[in-house]
Amino acid sequence: MEAKPNTIYRALDRKAAAITEFTMRQYRTKASTWVVLGVGLVAISLVMLIYIDVMASGFESIDNDGDSRDWDNDGYPTGQEIKWGTDPFSDTSHPGLLDPPVEPEPASNYIDEDGFDISINGDSTSQSTGFDDDGDCYNLDGTSSRKDSNNNGVECDIALIQSRYTGEWDIYPDINVDEDPDDSAYALEATHMAFVLGMGKMGFVLLLGLFLPLFLATGLIRDEMTSGTMHFMLAKPIARTEVFLYRILGYLGIVWPYLIGLGIIFALISGFMGPSDGIFRFNDLGVWLAIVFAAMMASLVYGMLFCALGVMWRYGIVLAIPFAAWELGMCLLSMGAPEASILRFSVIGWALMIVDAAAVLAWPNMELFLLQGTSFGNDFGSIQTSALALQFFYATPGVGTSGLASAVIATIVLLIQASVFWFTGGAIFKGKEIE
Amino acid sequence: MSEEPAQTEAPTEFGAEAPVTGQGRMAAAWGTSAGDEDLSVPQVAQPSSTGHIFQQEYKPWHGTLNPRWMRNWAILRHHLLGIFKKGHRPWGMPTRLFILVVFIASLSDAALTLLSGLIGDGSIHQLWGVSRDNLYGHVLGFFPRNVLYYPIVAALLVGAVISEDRQHGTSALYFSRPITRFDYVGMKFISVAIIQALIILLTLTLYYLAEIISLGRGWAWIMDTFPLFIAAFLSGMMVIFTYTSIGLALSSVSKGKFFPGIGLLSIVLGTKVLAVLVSTLFDRDILYLLSPYDCMAHVGQTLIGTQPTYDQYSWSWSFASLIVMNAIALYTLSARVSSMEVTRE
Amino acid sequence: MMPDFDQDGKGQTQAWQPEPAAPAVLLEGVSKSYGRIFALSNITLALNGGVTGVLGPNGAGKSTMFKLLMGKLKPSQGKIRLFGTDPWKNPAPYARVGFVPEHEKMYDWMTAHQFVTTFARLNGLTRQEASIEADRVLNFVGLADVAHKKIGQYSKGMRQRAKIAHALVNDPELIILDEPLQGCDPLARTTIMNVIRELGRMGRTVIVSSHILQEIERITEQIIILHNGRLLALGNLHAIREKLDQIPHRISIEADDAKALAKDVIDLDDVSGISFPNKNHLSIQTHNLGAIHAHLPSVIVNNNHRIHTIDNPDDDLASILGYLTSGGRV
Repeated sequence: MEAKPNTIYRALDRKAAAITEFTMRQYRTKASTWVVLGVGLVAISLVMLIYIDVMASGFESIDNDGDSRDWDNDGYPTGQEIKWGTDPFSDTSHPGLLDPPVEPEPASNYIDEDGFDISINGDSTSQSTGFDDDGDCYNLDGTSSRKDSNNNGVECDIALIQSRYTGEWDIYPDINVDEDPDDSAYALEATHMAFVLGMGKMGFVLLLGLFLPLFLATGLIRDEMTSGTMHFMLAKPIARTEVFLYRILGYLGIVWPYLIGLGIIFALISGFMGPSDGIFRFNDLGVWLAIVFAAMMASLVYGMLFCALGVMWRYGIVLAIPFAAWELGMCLLSMGAPEASILRFSVIGWALMIVDAAAVLAWPNMELFLLQGTSFGNDFGSIQTSALALQFFYATPGVGTSGLASAVIATIVLLIQASVFWFTGGAIFKGKEIE
Repeated sequence: MSEEPAQTEAPTEFGAEAPVTGQGRMAAAWGTSAGDEDLSVPQVAQPSSTGHIFQQEYKPWHGTLNPRWMRNWAILRHHLLGIFKKGHRPWGMPTRLFILVVFIASLSDAALTLLSGLIGDGSIHQLWGVSRDNLYGHVLGFFPRNVLYYPIVAALLVGAVISEDRQHGTSALYFSRPITRFDYVGMKFISVAIIQALIILLTLTLYYLAEIISLGRGWAWIMDTFPLFIAAFLSGMMVIFTYTSIGLALSSVSKGKFFPGIGLLSIVLGTKVLAVLVSTLFDRDILYLLSPYDCMAHVGQTLIGTQPTYDQYSWSWSFASLIVMNAIALYTLSARVSSMEVTRE
Repeated sequence: MMPDFDQDGKGQTQAWQPEPAAPAVLLEGVSKSYGRIFALSNITLALNGGVTGVLGPNGAGKSTMFKLLMGKLKPSQGKIRLFGTDPWKNPAPYARVGFVPEHEKMYDWMTAHQFVTTFARLNGLTRQEASIEADRVLNFVGLADVAHKKIGQYSKGMRQRAKIAHALVNDPELIILDEPLQGCDPLARTTIMNVIRELGRMGRTVIVSSHILQEIERITEQIIILHNGRLLALGNLHAIREKLDQIPHRISIEADDAKALAKDVIDLDDVSGISFPNKNHLSIQTHNLGAIHAHLPSVIVNNNHRIHTIDNPDDDLASILGYLTSGGRV
């Protein structure tokens, strides 16, 4: 008994480490912990398996503008006929009759032959961009006004107009410009990003971030109070608020490594499976980092809250369950309307903001990318489906600041929420008589 | 460590030839001879010369046992009446409160139908009156009914019904009586189902009656809509059965109070979230087959005849999946209950 | 002592010190009520040093008193001080206190050594110190050879001793044991009693509760009797017994020839009356139980009586309590 700790920090450290270790060991001996963690793993792995299947099988490229067909049965696909200026609907007019005659090209040359090449340059709210890769606009028979169907004075381009009010861009293409993009490439890219965001938001932050605390943290102190073992801990020179905090630390000691481990596995698999120029998508790592971080913060705040509810009332779960349902609704809302102010009263709204912020930072051209996929009409098949999915999961950070600032603000808010729940839980615990 | 049998607590028998040694001294069992000297416990060390064997008489009981249904009725009654009054199974106050709140909230469509009948406002009736979609919505609507109402009631009910019995050791009280385990768990199942039926089916019936009364519907209307009502009623029974069997299975495998409730909710809502995720991301509906709610919704849509929202596979797949889920749940339940150790855990 | 947070979360800048003159335990006019039921009513006592037995039937308020002392419950009235500090407000005095709760539930998945080590570290010991201390106390309570077995495999007596070890690990000055003998076999009982007496001899303040008089009798002479939340008696057991001996007592003897025995017994000085509940039973009334017990054996042996049972139906807690609560009437 001689070596007494000489500073408050050393004493805290010893107690904190003791309770944290104890709590982690307690979790490890419970079968339910492993069941919950295992089921969580299986559930999100299911989504991962489907993702792998989709990525491996890819998307079918379709002929979006129909110019690979040979409507007049003269052996030349429509696209080739347009390029050479012959009549695609007459078998007496085709490039083979030209001098010198042109050999027919295979139809596959006219699938995915005119991809997106849109970019935004400078601050102008009205820009001209795009390029007619296959020449079916430049070579179009007819007047200049036919080639400038968007009336911006430039033939065969795409007019980009930024709305003065919303700041969003609208796309007005000329006829046959960028009209047959590479479906598979676009859909793979869009689906991959949608997967990262969707998995991160609904898989990690919502499912794991919400249900793990619901299972693991609700009884963290309440179970001990019910069974009477809390007496051992409270008979030691340690304030109850500290016990509360250190128990939470022990819970985090189980949940956080689990989330980090899963995050690494998912980042690796999706990084290798996803479409990229190299072998690995290093760009996504920032987003995965943010996802894991957001899930960790969510599990911290929820853990504090559910543990406090458990302390407050023997039937704390009755309060926790409607709250969980509320958070589920808020999660869906944040993807549709990230600027809704009601989201500020939720936990998940802030946590998802971290993911959004990282997505903005890691994928700066997202808006344009989405615009391409969603604004080209209904005949774009998998492009539009995947773009809509991506649009569903992608949102700009709702507080209206830059990516990094939003992430910092959201983190600070989450930490404040966690400490409010800690103080409240500690205060309730302090006032509890323990039978 | 010389350990000797400890002294007898108090001398209870003297033999006539028992030597009287006065103060007894006990060598301490635990390594020290000190400690007993200062005590003055009079003790007579003596060999016991007499013993006593009690005559054991077992009298078989020759009374007549009530029939099985009567015993089962007692269990059922015990659970059901606990919702309403004291002296029966003590459901927690919050549970009872929540059931009341959900009951009232479930009547919202009936109330608005009554209102539309009273003030004669057609637009309210169009939104809330009895129709194919509204009957479906009353039983199987996702939000709020199958998020906030029915699964939570089921979760609160099953949370305690078997696991708490095990925790408190009260299951031993049942099993020491002439009741089979099958009856025990069956009655628990039925009582939980009946309480849910109060919320789902009773409110459905009240809703239908509200329309008839407030709008003065005649026979022709009733003939037209009664099959819809029956279909909705059957769907409601399907919902109740599924929630109860999954919930009781969870309750039978766990010891905790929180686990079955949270487990049921995370199965219902978690699979739904996963299925929505996959369907949105990859345009594949296959995971809906794992979600109990979506299977029920699909079957319910077919039964009631509303516009199906699941178009990638036929409803019979959902139905098969639902049967498999229930079969697994019931198998788990029966296996666990029949092998349950009757101890206080 | 080490610095700590108090329950209000204020970090204590100065190390907690017991007030020099304060007794280990002080209760002043303490009441604890649940609604209209008083679990403890107006208890005033101070304890410092020695082994004190708290005696009372189930529901007398023994556990309530201990929980109040350990800051688990908040007193409805009155003030409680552990070494001069209010335990509900500040957990610092627990550094000098060891508490053995009555609950049977323990952490079955830990070994006794892990259990004691973990909770020793809450007293601010390092891992190594805690391990050494755990070995010491487990040896002290006689669990050294099973220290590395899971508590779940322990018998009840071993579990009680593990709990005691956990309470002793910080070398406390005040040790509170709530029903430490409950459910133990005689051997474990003896061991635990020895441990408690040993602690008393080491100069610690020990408070131990039981509802069985004979158990307390073998541990200590200093007792407190609680009944229905009220303090009935306090002081030296012999002094209390002395007073109790003066009250009418019965000794019930079952003998082959009750009448012959009665003839011999009636001659003893302190016998005030004799009756025969049935043929083989003899019931002796006395005001001085001790004297009768001193002489009875010799009378029996000298006259060759065959005795089957001998019993003091009044020498249990219930009848003492009955006497004390009825104001001396039996």
